[in-house]
Amino acid sequence: MTFTVRPDADAKLRGQVAFATDRGVPGMLWGALVPAPVARGRIRSLDLGPARAIDGVIAIGPADLARLLPGVTGAVERPVFPTDRIQYHSQPLAAVAAPTRQLARRAARAVRVDVEPLPPLEEIEGFDPVHPGPDRPDVIAHVLARHGDLDAAFGSADFVLSETYRTAGVCQVALEPHACIAEIQGDVWHVTTSTQTPFGAREDLASMLGLPEERIVVEGTWVGGGFGGKGAPLVEPYALLLARASGRPVRLALSYREEFQLGRTSLPSVVRIESAVKGGRIAGRRVHWRLDAGASLPGRDFTTGYAIGFILGPYRIPAIEMEGYAFRTNKPPLGPHRAPMAPQCVFAEESHMDHLAARLGVDPVAFRRAHVWKEGDRTHLGQKVGPFGLDRCLERAGALAATWSQDAAPHTGVAVGVGFWSTATGAGGEVRLVLSPTELKIIEGEREIGSGSVIRGIVAVAETVLGISRDRVRVDYHDTRSAPFDSGVFGSRTLAALGQAVQKAALALRDELGKRLSVPAGSVQLAEENGELVAVSGRRRAKIRSLLTATELALGGLTGEGRHYGVSGEIDTARVVEGTFYPYTDFTGAAHVAMVQVDPETGAVRVMRYAAFQDAGKVVDLPTAQGSIEGGVAMGLGTALTEETTWAEDGRMSNAGLLDYRIPTLGEIPPIEVHFEEGFLGAGPFGAKGLGEPPIIPVPATVGNAIFAASGVAMTELPMTPERVARALKLL
Amino acid sequence: MTASPARLTVNAAPVDLTPVPVDERLLDTVRWRLGLPGTKEGCRTGECGACTVLIDGRSVLSCLALTHEFAGAAVTTVEGLEGDPAGARVRAAFEAEGALQCGYCTPGFVVALTSLLKERGTEASAEELLEDLGGNLCRCTGYAAIVRAVRRIHGEMP
Ligand code: FES
Ligand code: FES
Repeated sequence: MTFTVRPDADAKLRGQVAFATDRGVPGMLWGALVPAPVARGRIRSLDLGPARAIDGVIAIGPADLARLLPGVTGAVERPVFPTDRIQYHSQPLAAVAAPTRQLARRAARAVRVDVEPLPPLEEIEGFDPVHPGPDRPDVIAHVLARHGDLDAAFGSADFVLSETYRTAGVCQVALEPHACIAEIQGDVWHVTTSTQTPFGAREDLASMLGLPEERIVVEGTWVGGGFGGKGAPLVEPYALLLARASGRPVRLALSYREEFQLGRTSLPSVVRIESAVKGGRIAGRRVHWRLDAGASLPGRDFTTGYAIGFILGPYRIPAIEMEGYAFRTNKPPLGPHRAPMAPQCVFAEESHMDHLAARLGVDPVAFRRAHVWKEGDRTHLGQKVGPFGLDRCLERAGALAATWSQDAAPHTGVAVGVGFWSTATGAGGEVRLVLSPTELKIIEGEREIGSGSVIRGIVAVAETVLGISRDRVRVDYHDTRSAPFDSGVFGSRTLAALGQAVQKAALALRDELGKRLSVPAGSVQLAEENGELVAVSGRRRAKIRSLLTATELALGGLTGEGRHYGVSGEIDTARVVEGTFYPYTDFTGAAHVAMVQVDPETGAVRVMRYAAFQDAGKVVDLPTAQGSIEGGVAMGLGTALTEETTWAEDGRMSNAGLLDYRIPTLGEIPPIEVHFEEGFLGAGPFGAKGLGEPPIIPVPATVGNAIFAASGVAMTELPMTPERVARALKLL
Repeated sequence: MTASPARLTVNAAPVDLTPVPVDERLLDTVRWRLGLPGTKEGCRTGECGACTVLIDGRSVLSCLALTHEFAGAAVTTVEGLEGDPAGARVRAAFEAEGALQCGYCTPGFVVALTSLLKERGTEASAEELLEDLGGNLCRCTGYAAIVRAVRRIHGEMP
């Protein structure tokens, strides 16, 4: 594999890439949001008068919606502005726009809000979820599944280990805040925005504004980091309404404080995990999960029924029960953070595995390998396991851990943790390739969010199929009007799922060229000659120009289309008692190794070395694959050690800033070794598996296990701050 | 807010911003008044490094700098490093190591590292350079490739 420089590198290094925050249009106004002053309460009155009295200011609130959205019929699921009840602190109650940023902020502060505060509902523990009682959060999701004879497993166990874990909420902290520019163009509501999902944003905006999808156009920009936070619309509806009210383009960007307060982040959870062990094997496992879903909409929950499976782990266990509850509290709505809740669930599960192995006095890697799924096994919900390289990753990680352990200094521990994920999700997409005499264009709607999955991942697929050199391939981004539909850059699906559409489209082009050259399609590759593309098959060579019809030349080239609507596996619904569980598409494993040092006096943890063994199916572009693993590990180290959203008693996020909410800095990241395990092929092109989310998943568990190895104390709370470790060490 | 006089040099070109509001930040001046959006707006509170520019050759967080206080100074943004040999060296190393993903932190790193190279040249070790980059945050790369890029530059130093 040769090293390829990212095609966007040069422009990004010169500051020439325009993000949504960089966009400005003549005559634009600056928007600002009016935040709720309490986390829970009733709005007594909202007076926009003082803001409107400022020269040049436009202000809109709930009372203006009917005027701004005439002809809208039918109930809107989530009104843009609440009319009565405040659900979370800083929830936007109104919005303003003004000719300058300063004036907009001033106008937002001038709005008078009178509320009757109520005590915020924040606790998700300490009450019966079946009968929560008054002044307890509502249950928005309940899932329950069972399989096997759990009573027998627990009744005849040699021992039962029962543990409770608590995990904190973490924020995506993309460096680029959410930003967009909205403009009403005749009948069309147009928004240029930093989004991972242009089509998803269009659909959500249509439902929030009560407009038909055709009247909304979403144009993506370069995305300055997504990590799940730039999926569902956040700033767009307000900007569009302000544009509508003012008749001017409106730029709305969140301040970094708002980014923390309003970003759709992950939230706290509590995991109880109990295992019944007999004869050195896990005979039964019961897990109970409580998830804080913030002000999420009931019925929109995906996380609970998906992530809960990770608490059971990728292991053969004859009898299982999993039950999960998501509660509606007075925090901002729960959002997807890179592998939503999986690092947290896996932290509990994989720490528990090491504690079980310790209790049994066996090697934790061997203990895992005795249980780990292999292809052909059944998941806890009865789905057949596909090609899965986790056992092989474990074997290699175990060998490395053994080597590292040999030079472990005092207070130093080495340990392993694993995780798995499903990529190439069922969500579908389409792509259009256009082969001109001089280049191949990939026409699609997804923008590059940083991982390289668009600009390198899907491009590499086209290169490989057609043998075309990469400087002859160009991604041509279109807005939702003319781009082929795709569900978005999320769920580690871009290469694995959209890549399949690209592969099909490239194959269609190759077939067509084969026909026109009268040679077998499989033999056609593209080459260059005097700046022109030529199709080559054995000794046959023909300029692309000579193979295209006059009409095709006039239209820009030969078109190849590809669609990929994936199918996920099937779960055995007889095992589901209540709620919605989701099947996996493919099985992507990872085993990590950490070496940490624990300061016996302060409890501070230093990660000294780190290694990731990633089941990748097939690596399509090595530098981007490696970058994704390194970035995922670093983000996971934040989740493990420092990152935590804290909430004051009044429901306000109390550390909404980078100084208090600490993401890893350059000096805190240890050397990270990245190893790929290829050959256990996934559903993606050439057998590729997605690599966006998998690398973050095992990190908190691996670090926790290394702390356990170093100090003998079992960490059961994330993040593992010096204070928590010191407390576990009984220093406090 | 009352305005003040502000004449400065930005990327070697003299600009007269008079009158500039006294609360205007240099970040907004270069991005919105001078049309140089290469300098990125992250936290606006001095905590991320995305807005790093050079003032008289030294790294400054432009979100914390009030434009009128720098009257007479020479400001260099990432756009102004186009022809700079140290800047070119930084860009080449970042490219070769894949030291960027989304690219939002990237201009800040390029500017900060370029100024370190110019200021400290061969005297600084790679470790010292890395330590001085501690105020620049990157969420995507996990810094691994950035560290490699810095080491590569250091290895290449004359
Ligand atoms: S924007 Fe200036 S330090 Fe973050
Ligand atoms: S490349 Fe995205 S923040 Fe650094």
